[in-house]
Amino acid sequence: MSVDDRMVPHKPAVIAPGHTSATVSDQIGEIVFRKTPRWWYFAFGGSFVLVMLLLMALTKLLVEGTGIWGLNNPVGWGFAIINFVWWIGIGHAGTLISAILLLLRQEWRTSINRFAEAMTLFAVACAGLYPLIHVGRPWLAYWLLPYPNTMGMWPQFRSPLVWDVFAVSTYATVSLLFWYVGLIPDLATLRDRSRSPLKQKIYGMLAMGWRGSAAHWHNYETAYLLLAGLATPLVVSVHTVVSFDFAVGQLPGWHATIFPPYFVAGAIFAGFAMVLTLAIPLRAVFNLHDFITIRHIQNMCKVMLATGLIVAYGYLVEIFMAWYSGHWLEQFMILNRITGPYRYHWWALILCNILVVQLLWIRRVRTNPVTAWIIAMFVNVGMWLERFVIVVTSLHRDFLPSSWGMYSGTFWDWATFIGSIGLFLALLFLFLRFLPMISIFEMRTILPKGESKS
Amino acid sequence: MSERSTWSAPAELAQLERKLWMIGGAGALLSILGALLDRAQAVQSYLVAWLLWAGVAFGCFAVMVLHHLSRGGWGLMVRRVFEAATKTMPLLAILFVPVLLGLPHLYSWADPEAVAASEYLQQKTNYLNASFFTLRFVAYFVILGGLGWLICRRSLEQDATGDPRLARRMQRLAGPSLGIYVLVATLAAVDWIMSLDPLWYSSLFGVYFVGGHGVSAFAFVILAALWLSKRQPMSRVFTHRHFHDYGKLLFAFVMLWAYFALSQLLIIWSGNLAEEITWYFERIQGGWKYLGMALGLLHFGLPFLLLLSRNLKRDARRLAIVAALLLVLRWVDLYWQVGPAFHHGGLALHWLDLTTVVGLGGIWLAAVARFLGRHSLLPINDPHLEEALPGD
Amino acid sequence: MEYARKVGLYGLIAEFDTSDRLIHAAEQTRADGYRKLDAYTPYPIEEVSEALGHHGSRLPLLVLIGGILGALGGFGLQYWVSVIAYPLNIGGRPLNSWIAFVPVTFESTVLLAALAAVLGMLALNGLPKPYHPVFNAERFALASRDRYFLCIEAEDEKFDREATESFLQGLDPIGVYEVEN
Repeated sequence: MSVDDRMVPHKPAVIAPGHTSATVSDQIGEIVFRKTPRWWYFAFGGSFVLVMLLLMALTKLLVEGTGIWGLNNPVGWGFAIINFVWWIGIGHAGTLISAILLLLRQEWRTSINRFAEAMTLFAVACAGLYPLIHVGRPWLAYWLLPYPNTMGMWPQFRSPLVWDVFAVSTYATVSLLFWYVGLIPDLATLRDRSRSPLKQKIYGMLAMGWRGSAAHWHNYETAYLLLAGLATPLVVSVHTVVSFDFAVGQLPGWHATIFPPYFVAGAIFAGFAMVLTLAIPLRAVFNLHDFITIRHIQNMCKVMLATGLIVAYGYLVEIFMAWYSGHWLEQFMILNRITGPYRYHWWALILCNILVVQLLWIRRVRTNPVTAWIIAMFVNVGMWLERFVIVVTSLHRDFLPSSWGMYSGTFWDWATFIGSIGLFLALLFLFLRFLPMISIFEMRTILPKGESKS
Repeated sequence: MSERSTWSAPAELAQLERKLWMIGGAGALLSILGALLDRAQAVQSYLVAWLLWAGVAFGCFAVMVLHHLSRGGWGLMVRRVFEAATKTMPLLAILFVPVLLGLPHLYSWADPEAVAASEYLQQKTNYLNASFFTLRFVAYFVILGGLGWLICRRSLEQDATGDPRLARRMQRLAGPSLGIYVLVATLAAVDWIMSLDPLWYSSLFGVYFVGGHGVSAFAFVILAALWLSKRQPMSRVFTHRHFHDYGKLLFAFVMLWAYFALSQLLIIWSGNLAEEITWYFERIQGGWKYLGMALGLLHFGLPFLLLLSRNLKRDARRLAIVAALLLVLRWVDLYWQVGPAFHHGGLALHWLDLTTVVGLGGIWLAAVARFLGRHSLLPINDPHLEEALPGD
Repeated sequence: MEYARKVGLYGLIAEFDTSDRLIHAAEQTRADGYRKLDAYTPYPIEEVSEALGHHGSRLPLLVLIGGILGALGGFGLQYWVSVIAYPLNIGGRPLNSWIAFVPVTFESTVLLAALAAVLGMLALNGLPKPYHPVFNAERFALASRDRYFLCIEAEDEKFDREATESFLQGLDPIGVYEVEN
């Protein structure tokens, strides 16, 4: 495992030739100090408008209640849970890239991990919003936490919704720690490079007095590896708990034991798609071709293909088991998905998540940024549709035909969803402007000369 | 380094093989004797034994494929062990004949009386019937055996010709092979284990079966690597680092297995549906409960804590003790899954459980030793080999 | 030493342009008998830590303790809440539904272990540290870019303003500078 990357001379490089520790520090650090490019104002402004839309939708929600959404009986879980799962899935790639690829000693992760970790945090922030507003009275959401209260009540720990609170908040905390720990040496670089006293103070405070001491690096590296070791099972557990939200119930379509691994694979699949969606334009705009090379794009495409196949396996096993079980409710559920009123959603999801992704077997497709980006967009849509299909088609045909119903999002559902995309992008643009989007100190370690190991 | 003869198997391998044939023969004789006394018990014990050793072979195939796919340096030192295990697939297919002969003793869907009495079983006989079961069995082995044969042949061709394109070709074959293996293993898990209780179903079960294969394969490979590393010529090249890598991978599969086991249990326990929970309910009756607890503690808890230690993973001997424990627990896991289908009331160990597993194990291991002895113990012309060896 | 204290000298720092020179210098300095010294590099270099005698770390132990506390705390909380403080019959499940308590126990284990890793790392490193004399050195800002520094502190038994400077000069640095307190 340790040797495979270093020993293959014909693989394209993870960093363009000719770079030194100084040029890497300057080129990546420079992005933060350079005069804000004009497009940034437009991009940030555009996302900010969407944030305003989100705020409007939330205000409306707080004033009028969840009745403004398309929820009904029998479909009591709609956009809020779909978007929650979609966002939290996207939030898996960052920690995965940072942690698992670090443990597997995949050096190519270095150019993309910082930015993917930031993406994780913002995606988790967007995800966390939904359960919060879905509880109906968000100002009482803290009731979900176990704390001694005058009502003498405690959470019900057999409920996956309580597990969710723990899983998502742990994930948010650990991702933040991981990201921040990774940032400390780079914040010190920014502190030392900036000429304005204010920036020196701010970056200086954030860097906490980091001075690159050998003794510090020693503990730092140990901490980083341990965090990676902890984050790896954590990533798996988070989407597993999300899948439990569905699977521990008894509803056909939700109650399936394959859900945990298949949700985790789907999350990684979606996360890598989003990393590609963002990294490909960024590398063009910020001229980062030297650091985010074709090899990165190709490797991410391979991960997407592999996880996409696991997702396909999940669909197949669900269908096979429904047939094998001989259980009429399971069989009805599958037939309803494929041929029922939401069949177009289902077929579109198969197209986006399975069929289109098979193009990645072709080398030319995965080494071309444009085609890779287009396929990633298909996956983004496909994974949203997957959650829509799981949530809605399982609920809308209730056990009693008299309780059957249909579901579609209202204007406010869509406004909240699109607004949360705006929030995600706005946070991302702020990050790109004020923090180094590539880990500078880790880039130094993978430089040909920087790797001064005998 | 490129001299092939220097990497041929030690003379002790042939001695080991002879011993294994004797152990296998003795176990087989006793088992046949037992079969004359109690045919049902014999095939029931034999199924578990067969699942254990076939699981090691399947796991070795999958891990070999994974090694080619990732081109990881970790697999090179033991690639020939994976290949030797993969080549036993035809033998394992032949050794399945006793199970096919004893189908009515094992599977209620193969018992005409039971089928006639149950409406549910009648619904399922389209899929669960003796001839289709046999046909699927043949298909699984033809597919996996064929893929295994193709990959092993290229690997040996690489020894002979040193053609650098072969590594790439094996990698290309590896991707689809891994996918096909998972699909085959899923269907096989349904056929061989899940259908023992024809009403029960769980969509995670195939993956759980695969996770078990991974544990089996690495446990076996660590033991094989320890044996090889004690003797010339491989003692020259094995280092702590290799065992550290195998230890990490074993650790990963132990966690994966536990993850699947717990997910399935938690979902079924929470749902508490009559058609699902009965499977677990039977497995906590009487003595079965203790086997289940042993699985939690010894197939996960203890190995997990031990394998956290970096020093243990780097110490071949101590790592091998954990591997041996896990191999035993693999049998316990399969016995716990299969046994309650025949002994509803509680645990009922039989001496045939021991003789079948020893007999079949002796024969299977002897076959592995024979295949291993035929070729160079290292893939001497692999482009990555230099880097996998300790620097001189 | 007396002299150094009087003028408020923290130590002498040498600047190197490659990591190899720094590794060599660190080894030489240790071999020469200096003990109070530290190296400053733009990225972690294992050989430098080794040359300066940093072996092992107490961090894994702290993380293990954090993890054990998290596991016990997480399970203990659930047990206490579900069995003692607020027993509820949920679908006929036992009060101590240990299977259902696994996810939260796992999360609390990871949470406390991760907090132990980060806070432990900061504590062991003495961070945050608002002021450190080494920043007074000329050109030290380059330690976070592409230069490698080795500082011998005035506290060292063997420290001597003149002798130490000439020793450092002999290690092929770009320059040797005073670090004021």
